[in-house]
Amino acid sequence: MYGSEFDGSAAFSGGGFMPSQATQAPDPSFSTSKNRDSQSLLPLTVKQINEALLTSDDKSNFSIDGVEVNNVTLVGRVCNRTGRVTDVTFLLDDGTGRIECNKWVQEFVDSNEVEGILEGMYVRIHGHLKGFLGKRSLNVFSIRPITDFNEIASHFIDCIYVHLYNSRLRKLQGVGVTTQPQMPNPSSTPMMGHQATSVNQLSSQYGNVGGQKNIEQMVLDFLQLPASNADEKGVHRDFIAQQLRVSVDKLMLAIQNLVEEGMIYSTTDDFHFKSTING
Amino acid sequence: MDTSSPSVFVNAELLRVHIGKKVRAVVHVIQSDGEITTGKSTDEHQLIVKGLPHVSLMSYVEVIGIAESDQSIRAETWTNFGNTFDTQSYNQVCQLANGEFKGLFL
Repeated sequence: MYGSEFDGSAAFSGGGFMPSQATQAPDPSFSTSKNRDSQSLLPLTVKQINEALLTSDDKSNFSIDGVEVNNVTLVGRVCNRTGRVTDVTFLLDDGTGRIECNKWVQEFVDSNEVEGILEGMYVRIHGHLKGFLGKRSLNVFSIRPITDFNEIASHFIDCIYVHLYNSRLRKLQGVGVTTQPQMPNPSSTPMMGHQATSVNQLSSQYGNVGGQKNIEQMVLDFLQLPASNADEKGVHRDFIAQQLRVSVDKLMLAIQNLVEEGMIYSTTDDFHFKSTING
Repeated sequence: MDTSSPSVFVNAELLRVHIGKKVRAVVHVIQSDGEITTGKSTDEHQLIVKGLPHVSLMSYVEVIGIAESDQSIRAETWTNFGNTFDTQSYNQVCQLANGEFKGLFL
């Protein structure tokens, strides 16, 4: 009776309880989409979302610039706000288009948050992009009114940067690597920014040391001279101090830093040093 | 309020390309008499905005409306951006949104 018609694996596929046939097949595009790198947060314009490609099989997955889109952040104005007890729906207009947004109100904090959101207000949204019957909408996690309006320009600059980064990296990857549609590390876009800042912080740390840095550079330059490398024992610190005309105290500070960084090393005793570059 | 069509980021220079279309611009208000508001665009040109209520002088106002001529906009909606605003960055966004990265905006 029922048994003959009821196919358990088909009925529950995608429910998360039973592995469907599709997931068991070693489909490279699917397995990479499971990568946690694809869980990155993308700053986007509404136009980009409206033009996003549906990734072939999975009806709810979108791809922009070759990167799978899940969580997004947008900045725009609130239009057609409709508040209900359980949820709030509105259209977000960022000047490039409009997209329907939905925020479920479950707790007191949520209702507080959405009550402050008024028609025509500029907001920053974090949410999950979903597609249903060809319609794209956002399931909003957080919605926050914009108080510093420079955030608008900043958001669009972010969009441009991420677009440039993703599209250029994909191009660099070349046509040959078609079996791996996902970038090895798509979420590195935001990380890129962090890396850049950490480098900046590092260099500014050096900047703080100021004069010390100059002495370090001088010592390094001196130890890299061919004359300094002639002797296997390296150069005595007093000789360096004498040549560079700096006090031994200051010199030892610089030398300590250089040793810690692995730029130079002490040789036969604690007073002779050599540059690591020259071996 | 009709915001169905996209509104392009513009400065005074880009306004003439979009006459008759919906635009958005930020103006630094110099004069406001309730009928016509005169302001400075993000690229430091004079713009006339019609249909704004009385806005406080020296404030930055974002206007969304129809570009009527190469130096006037009929406002449909507006947002006061306060008294401090980074016009230079906004101006750069205007240029990028109409130039190299038009595809993301229009």
